[in-house]
Amino acid sequence: MIRAARRALALSTLALAACGIAYAQVYQEPDAFIAEVLGSKPPPKVLWLTKDIQGQAAAILGHPPAQLRQRYWSEGGKSVWILEETGKEELITAGFVVVDGHIDHVRVLVYRESRGQEVRQTSFLKQFKDAKLAQSNRLDRDIDGIVGATLSVGAMERMARLALYFDRLSHDKARE
Amino acid sequence: MKKSTLALASAAIFGATPALGQASVDEKLQILQQEIDELKAQSRKSAGPAQQPSPYSLDYGSMLDRSSGLANGGTNIIGYGEMSYSKFRESGNATADLARFVFGFNHRFDERLTFHSEIEIEHAVVSKDDQGEAEVEQAWVNYKMSDAVNFKGGLFLIPLGILNETHEPPTYYGVQRNQVETRIIPTTWRELGVGVHGIVSEGLRYDMGVTTSFDSGKLDDPTTGMRSAHQEGQLANASNLAVYGALNYRRPGLLVGGGVFTGDTGQNGASNPALQGVAARFTIWDVHAEYRVAGLDLQALYTAGTLGDADKVTAALFAADPATAFAAPQSMKGWYAQAAYHVYKQGKLDVAPFIRYERIDIKQAEDPANGLLQDPNNNERIKTLGVNFWVHPQVVLKADIQRYATDKTQDAFRLGAGFMF
Repeated sequence: MIRAARRALALSTLALAACGIAYAQVYQEPDAFIAEVLGSKPPPKVLWLTKDIQGQAAAILGHPPAQLRQRYWSEGGKSVWILEETGKEELITAGFVVVDGHIDHVRVLVYRESRGQEVRQTSFLKQFKDAKLAQSNRLDRDIDGIVGATLSVGAMERMARLALYFDRLSHDKARE
Repeated sequence: MKKSTLALASAAIFGATPALGQASVDEKLQILQQEIDELKAQSRKSAGPAQQPSPYSLDYGSMLDRSSGLANGGTNIIGYGEMSYSKFRESGNATADLARFVFGFNHRFDERLTFHSEIEIEHAVVSKDDQGEAEVEQAWVNYKMSDAVNFKGGLFLIPLGILNETHEPPTYYGVQRNQVETRIIPTTWRELGVGVHGIVSEGLRYDMGVTTSFDSGKLDDPTTGMRSAHQEGQLANASNLAVYGALNYRRPGLLVGGGVFTGDTGQNGASNPALQGVAARFTIWDVHAEYRVAGLDLQALYTAGTLGDADKVTAALFAADPATAFAAPQSMKGWYAQAAYHVYKQGKLDVAPFIRYERIDIKQAEDPANGLLQDPNNNERIKTLGVNFWVHPQVVLKADIQRYATDKTQDAFRLGAGFMF
C-alpha cells in the first residue's frame, strides 16, 4: 500500500510540476499595476513623512514606518499606493487604488511566504472594496480573516488603512 | 563607485540650481527627488545586471530598513509562548506553569529556497531532575516552484486537524489546547520526511508526502492513544515509513478540510523485539470545519484512528515489562464542537466568550489474563466554558472552567496568557 501511495505521490508531483512550473511569486510588477489602473504610469509624487505623520503611521502599523517618504501615483482623482508590510515572516507587497477616500481596488503584487497565499483570493480582497477610514484611522468595516493566515490578513488590513490615511494627506497637501 | 555617484549627484543638484531658485519648497523637493531617481537609474544601469533591483528590494517606499522582512540571505526570528494558572477542583491544588516558550529562525537562501524552524522549551526548566523538555519542533527547507508546487524536506508538522499546523496561543480558544487534538491527534505532531504542497485553485490547498512513522514499541502512556509512540525526529526508527495527505479549502471566514496519515508502526522490533515481523499499521484521519460570521466563530472536528495488530502490541508491551505494561490502543475516535462570540471588538481589543464540548473514545486491546484492561479515563466527555481577551491581535489573556465526565481530578479553573510574534 505504501508503495502504491509513493507511486501516486510521485505521479501527482510530476503532474503538478508540469502545470505549475511557472514561477508565480511576483504576481504583477508594481509598474505594470500602476499602468493598468491609471492607463499609463505618470511621474511619481512624494509624500514626506513628517514626525506627526510618522506617529500616525506607527499607530496604524503597530510599528514605526520604515520609510521617510512615500511615493504614489495619481491621475484624475485616483491615487495608487504600493505598500509593503510583514505578514508572518516576510514582506507582502500590495497595490491599493483609492478614489474619493474609498478603496477602489486592492491587489497582492508579491507574496513571499510559503503559506498564507489565500490573501490573494478575490473573495478576500473584495472585502476592501469601498472601505474608508472611520474613527482612529480604522476601517469602517470588519474584514473576515482566513484560518491559518491570521498575520497576513492583519498585514493587508494595516496596509489598507495606511493607503487611505496617506491618500487623505495627499489631498490635504494638494489643497494647501 | 560611491564617489562617482556623489559627484554626479552634486553636479545634478548644482545643475538644477536655477530651476530650484524659482520653485516652491515642494517643487524643489520634487525636482531633487527626480534627480535622485535618475541618478539611481544611471547607477544601476552602469553597475550591470548584478545591481538590478530584485523583487525583494522594491523602492516604492524608499525603505531605509527592510530587516523586518526576508530579503535574499535574510534571517528573522519568530516566537510564541503561553503560561497558565490552574486550580484543581477536587484536590484543591493549584499550579502555575510557563507551559511553553518557542522561538524560531527563518532564513531565505534565494527567491525560491527558504528554511523554517521552531525550537520549544516546555515547562521553563530543562534538566534531568525536572519535567521540562527542549525540543526541535520544526526544521525544514521549502523549495517554491510556484504557489501550486512547493517541495519541503526535514522535520515538519503533519497537516492533520486544525491546531497541529496553527497552534500559536492567540489562534485558539481556551487556556489549554483542546483534548481531542492532544490525545487523539498528537499536536504538536511532526515527522521527518519529504512532501509537496501548494494551492491548486482559489483557496484549495493540498499537502502530501512520505515521513517517518510511529513506533508501537515506544508506547508508554495508556491514556493518549498513539501519542507516546510518535518519534519526533529523535533517533526515529525508520524501517516503516508513513504517507499522509490533506486537502483544505479556505475562503474568508470559512475553512473546510481533512487529512489522513497511515503507516506501519512495528519498526521491525527495533525498540521491542516482540514486534519483529508485526506490521501494526496505524491509520488516522480527520475532517474539520470552521466558520466565522457576524461575530460568531464556529468550529468542529471529527477524527478516528485504528491500530492493526493491537493485541500483538499489547503482548509485546507485557513481554517487555509486565510491571508497566498496559493494553495498547486498538481504535480511537474523538470530536468536538465549539462556539465563540465576539461580544466586544474595538481597535486592538477583542473579547470572545466560548463554549466547547469534546468527546474522546479510545478502545484498548485488552489482555484480561494478564490484567491489562481498558482504562476508564479513555472514555471521556469534557465541557469547557471560557473567554479569550485579546489585548492585541497577537497577545491574548484567557480564562476557563473545565468539567470532565470521567476523570474528575482534571476539573479545573484556569487562567492563561499567550503571545506570538
